[in-house]
Amino acid sequence: MFLTRSEYDRGVNTFSPEGRLFQVEYAIEAIKLGSTAIGICTSEGVVLAVEKRITSPLMESTTIEKIVEVDKHIGCAVSGLMADSRTMIDRARVECQNHWFVYNESMSVESCAQAVSNLAIQFGDSDDDGAAMSRPFGVAILFAGIDEKGPQLYHMDPSGTFVEFDAKAIGSGSEGAQQSLQEMYHRSMTLSEATTAALTILKQVMEEKLNSSNVEVMTMTPTNFFHMFPKEQVEEVITTIT
Amino acid sequence: MASVASPSFPDYSTQAPTQHMFSPYADNGGSVVAIAGDDFVIIGADTRLSAGFSIYTREQNKLFRLTDNTVLGCAGCWCDTLTLTRILKARMQMYEQEHNKTMSTTAAAQMLSTMLYYKRFFPYYISNILVGLDTEGKGCVYSYDPIGHCERASYRAGGSAGALLQPLLDNQIGLKNMQNVTNKTVSLDRALAVVKDVFISAAERDIYTGDKIMIMVITKNGIKEDSFDLRKD
Repeated sequence: MFLTRSEYDRGVNTFSPEGRLFQVEYAIEAIKLGSTAIGICTSEGVVLAVEKRITSPLMESTTIEKIVEVDKHIGCAVSGLMADSRTMIDRARVECQNHWFVYNESMSVESCAQAVSNLAIQFGDSDDDGAAMSRPFGVAILFAGIDEKGPQLYHMDPSGTFVEFDAKAIGSGSEGAQQSLQEMYHRSMTLSEATTAALTILKQVMEEKLNSSNVEVMTMTPTNFFHMFPKEQVEEVITTIT
Repeated sequence: MASVASPSFPDYSTQAPTQHMFSPYADNGGSVVAIAGDDFVIIGADTRLSAGFSIYTREQNKLFRLTDNTVLGCAGCWCDTLTLTRILKARMQMYEQEHNKTMSTTAAAQMLSTMLYYKRFFPYYISNILVGLDTEGKGCVYSYDPIGHCERASYRAGGSAGALLQPLLDNQIGLKNMQNVTNKTVSLDRALAVVKDVFISAAERDIYTGDKIMIMVITKNGIKEDSFDLRKD
């Protein structure tokens, strides 16, 4: 098995005889090395919580940005290769602004995910419109947004596949976190319940002890849109979890 | 300055530089009038297509349905109208497929503005008026200049008799420069009557407007078409 793999995992756009694209699958594996990110969608809004790995006490923790604003009504949490994520976030931002420019309306969350997906599959060596990358992006993204359909959460992996979720975890602790989400999630959850749940789960799967400088929390609500929790607000939530 | 006359006719050579003329535009006339109310909007356009003193046809519809509640009226260069509306139709379909929804009137209005501006240095020679219902169901009228300036109004006249009719609408619909006027909202019946009246006046004075008008009435129940005869001389 390993032998056949090594023959077909060189070219990024060569299918193996079993019909698999190994480089894409490896990229999906790369996400499992990334830091954990959790997203929960409720009827009141969406919450995103991510772990920040502080590898050195000399590190300035605020410079690690894993949750970013794409537009007023769309926020993203990323896990995987941070440098790759910059390119994808850039594309998402450009597409949202372009949509506003042409149509004078905010872009829907699904359309934004679709736009980023188009970038995600532009790897390889196509002749016509030029490849964006020589390899697949090593990034998984959670899109949290509000549009005319209400609060939504989308997950996208390096293959460019994007699916809507009620609750989703990505990164190294994703398997355990996803299991916990399945147990904790219910449709009538309030946003503050979801925030507490997200941090509780994050605390369980994180190797480091959870504190206000190694997590980022963001809520997306119909009234306040993108709201990044300041340090004090994160601490406030942390005190409520056991 | 070197002589630039044709070498085969040396007798006709002059010192003046040769001039090349290319007039890419035609003015095929036509007028469009639109009036918006609280829960409706009506748009009317005459059906005469002309060039100078000759009439191409007396029954050319100049109103284009973009969606179930958005209509565009075009007057000016007919070939530009044909191209613009075809591209517009394609763009609307692409939007529908990309975003899984029908374009709203406001989105179509902004898109038309950007489409016109993208031809900033070789513009479509069209006087556009776009009407529809906004997301709250209120009637809206958007008027454009040929290079994409877009303005939302509650009533507008455009095309060959635009300058003739706008003051008439200012008086009858806008109730401008009058004292002791209160009722600013216009009813559908009143709007219809005014549209017919102003077109009769336009046909009287403007040779590029006449024959017939097509009227579209947009309400939450959809688009209703109507027509009304004008003088044919």
